Amino acid sequence: MKGYYDDLFRLCGFEDEEINSERSRIKATLEKLELGPEDMERADAWVREYHDISLAGVRKLLGAWLKELIDLVLAKEEGKKIVYFGFPAILGPGLMLSASSKDVFVSAPDMVLDHTMGQIFNKLTPILEAGEANGLPPGHAMCSLWQAKVGGVAKGIIPVPDFALASSYYCDMGSKADDLVTALYGTPIAYIDGIMDSKWGEFPGFLPDRVEYLGAQINQALKMGEEALGIKIAPDAWEISRESSRPFRDNLVRLVDLMKADPVPVSIVELELLEALSGSSTGRGIREGVKAMDILVKELDKRVRAGVGVTEKGAPRVMVRLGHTSDPRVTRVIEDAGLAVPLTFILGSFGGVRVEPKGAYNTPGEIIANYEMTGGYYHGTDAQIQFYEKATQIMNLDGFIAQYLYNCRPVATISHAQRRYLEEKTGLPVLSLEIDNFDSRTHSADSLRTKVETFAEMLRARKRSASQIDFI
Amino acid sequence: MLVAGIDIGAATAKAVVLKDSIISGYAIRPVGHDVKIAAHGVITEALKNTGLSITVDKLDYVLSTGYARNTIGFAHKSATEIICHAKGAHFLIPSTRFIIDMGGQDSKAIEVDSEGNCINFIMNDKCAAGTGRFLEVMANILEVESMSEMGPLALQSDEPCIISSTCTVFAETEIVVLRAQGKDRKDLIAGVHRASASRVHSMATGLRCVPDAVFTGGVAKNTGVKKYLEEEFGINFLVPPEPQIIGALGAALIAQTHTANISRD
Repeated sequence: MKGYYDDLFRLCGFEDEEINSERSRIKATLEKLELGPEDMERADAWVREYHDISLAGVRKLLGAWLKELIDLVLAKEEGKKIVYFGFPAILGPGLMLSASSKDVFVSAPDMVLDHTMGQIFNKLTPILEAGEANGLPPGHAMCSLWQAKVGGVAKGIIPVPDFALASSYYCDMGSKADDLVTALYGTPIAYIDGIMDSKWGEFPGFLPDRVEYLGAQINQALKMGEEALGIKIAPDAWEISRESSRPFRDNLVRLVDLMKADPVPVSIVELELLEALSGSSTGRGIREGVKAMDILVKELDKRVRAGVGVTEKGAPRVMVRLGHTSDPRVTRVIEDAGLAVPLTFILGSFGGVRVEPKGAYNTPGEIIANYEMTGGYYHGTDAQIQFYEKATQIMNLDGFIAQYLYNCRPVATISHAQRRYLEEKTGLPVLSLEIDNFDSRTHSADSLRTKVETFAEMLRARKRSASQIDFI
Repeated sequence: MLVAGIDIGAATAKAVVLKDSIISGYAIRPVGHDVKIAAHGVITEALKNTGLSITVDKLDYVLSTGYARNTIGFAHKSATEIICHAKGAHFLIPSTRFIIDMGGQDSKAIEVDSEGNCINFIMNDKCAAGTGRFLEVMANILEVESMSEMGPLALQSDEPCIISSTCTVFAETEIVVLRAQGKDRKDLIAGVHRASASRVHSMATGLRCVPDAVFTGGVAKNTGVKKYLEEEFGINFLVPPEPQIIGALGAALIAQTHTANISRD
C-alpha cells in the first residue's frame, strides 16, 4: 500500500522495490522525526526548487543521505552499537570500527541531520533549538553543528551513542560538545589530541614525531573503542575500509576533473552533498553514495561534452571553503550572482590537491595519522593557502570566497591572514564572508546577497578588463 | 535623456533624476513600513523636484539599489549599493579612491579605481556598531533630538569618554554606567562618536585607505563622526553636498550607461 512518503522518497532516488522493502523502517523513522504528510509535500517542493533533480545522480545522493538517516534513527532499536564522531573528523578510526563488526553503526549524526532535516525537509530549526535548550544556549557563540547533535539526542530522534570519538583535530569545540553528551548521558569517550599547528612553510613536509604522536592517540582511541563496544578490531580493518571507500575517492577525483569545464556542469550545492557524505558516513550512506556518483559522473560527462552548465560560459570562477550543509539557498546565492563554483576546499583535498603519503608505518594509528597529515587541514593557515594556490592553477580561478563565522575559531582566527596571503600569493580577489555554514537563521541568503553580488560584479569587471588587455 | 536611480535603504528611500548627466532633481524620505509605497513616493517627489512634468513611466531607464533593490517593480535593473556608491562618489569627486559609507543599518569601506569602479570592499556583518542605528540608540539615551545634532556637541568635548564595547547593546550599558558616574554629556557623546569611527576603522583593515577619501551616507552629515574618522584613519574625508543620495546618484549614472548601450545597439 502506498505511503504518504512514497513520492518524496521516489523523488530522492529510491526505487519502488526499495521503498516497499523498507516501508516499515521508513515509517518508523518518519514517526520518530515527527514528519507527516504535510512535511512531505513541503519537502517535495523544497527539493524541486533547490536541488538539480534533473540529474538522477543528485536524486540518488539525496536518497543516500535518507538511507543514512534511517539507519541512524533506528540504530539502537535494531540492536546496533553506536559510535558518533565529529565533522570534520579523522575518519580512519570510525571506518575501522565500522569495518570490524556488522553490529556497529558509526556516523557523524549532526551532518546527517543537517543534510536530511535541513537540505531535504527544511525542518532543522526545532533540533537546533533543542540543542540550545540542552547546554548549548543561543547567544553564547555555540556552533550550530554541535547544537544539531546535542539537540537530536535531547529530542530523542537520534539515539544516545555507546561510544564517542572526540577530536580537536580541526575544532576544539567539537570535543567539548562530545563532553556534554558524555556528561548528560554517560557515553564513554575517547579523545584524539589535535596537533594541528605546524611551522609556516613546513608543509608539505612534516616531522615524523607528529605522525607518531597522533598515531599513538588514534591507537589508544581504537583500544578504548574495542573495550566500550566489546569488539575486536580486525587486523586488516584499515585496508578493508580504505578499499571500500576507494571508488568514492576515485569518483571524486573524476568529478573534480569534470568541474574544470567551462561552464561548470553542476551546482556546488550538489557536490556538497557528496563531499559531506565522504566525511560523515561509514556505512550505507557511503555505499549508496558510490552508486549515486557513478550515475552522476556519467551525467556530468554528458553535460560537459554538450557544453551544458549551470552558469554562463565565461562566468568568473571562485573557490569556496565549504558549501552550506543545511540550507541550499545560501550556497545558491553565489551562483545566482553569476559566479561559477568549481571547487570547495574539501573537494579539492581529494582531487589533485592532496599530497601523497610518505614514510612507512606499522600500527593502524600511525598509518591513519600519516594519511591525515597529507591534507592541508592538519597544518594551519600556510598549508591551506598552498592548497588554494594549487587549486587556482587547476581550476583556472578568478577569486575566492573565504567563509568564516565569528565563533568558529579555526576559520575566524585565520580569516584576515588568509585573505591577505591569498591575495598576495595568487593576485586574485578574496571575499571574506561571514556566514554560518551549518545554520541559516542568522546568516540567511538575503543577508549575504549584497556582498556576493558586489564581489561578482568586481570579478566580471576584472575579466572584462583583462580580456581588453589581451586583445590589445 | 532622462534616467533615475532609486536607493531603498534600511531607514530612508532616496531617488535621483539625471537629465543628460546633470542632477535634475532628488528626494529623500523615510522608508516606513512598505518599501513599494516608499519607492513610488520618493521617485514621484524627485520627479516633481525636477520641475519637469513627467511621470515615472516616461523615464528612459530606472536602476534600483539598496536592500529592497530587487522589489522595485518600475526599475529596469538593479545593482548593489556598493557599486553605486563608488560610481556616485567618483562622479562628484573624480579623484575619489576610497569611500566610507555609513548608512542606517550598515557601513562599508570601498576602494575605487580611476574609473569609479569598486575594486575592493568590506561591509559590516551582523553588528550595528559603526552604523546610523548605533548613533540613533545613543542619541536616544543621551536625549539628543537627532543623530546629526550630536555631531556639533561631540566637537565641543576636550575629553571624550572611552566606550570600549563594539556591541550596540553593551555600549548602551556602558553609557548608562558612565552617566551614573556623572560624566559630562558632551564627553559621552564624543566617546560614542569615537567608538563608532573606531569600529569602522577596524573593519576597513586590509583595504588601501588613501586620499582622496570620501564620506557618504546619512551618517556623513554628522560632523563628529567625520572628525573621529579622520583621527582614526589619519586622512581627511571629503563630504559631498548631499552625502545621503550618493547611492541613488550612482544608480542613476549606471542607468545612464545602460541607456547609452541600448541606443548604440
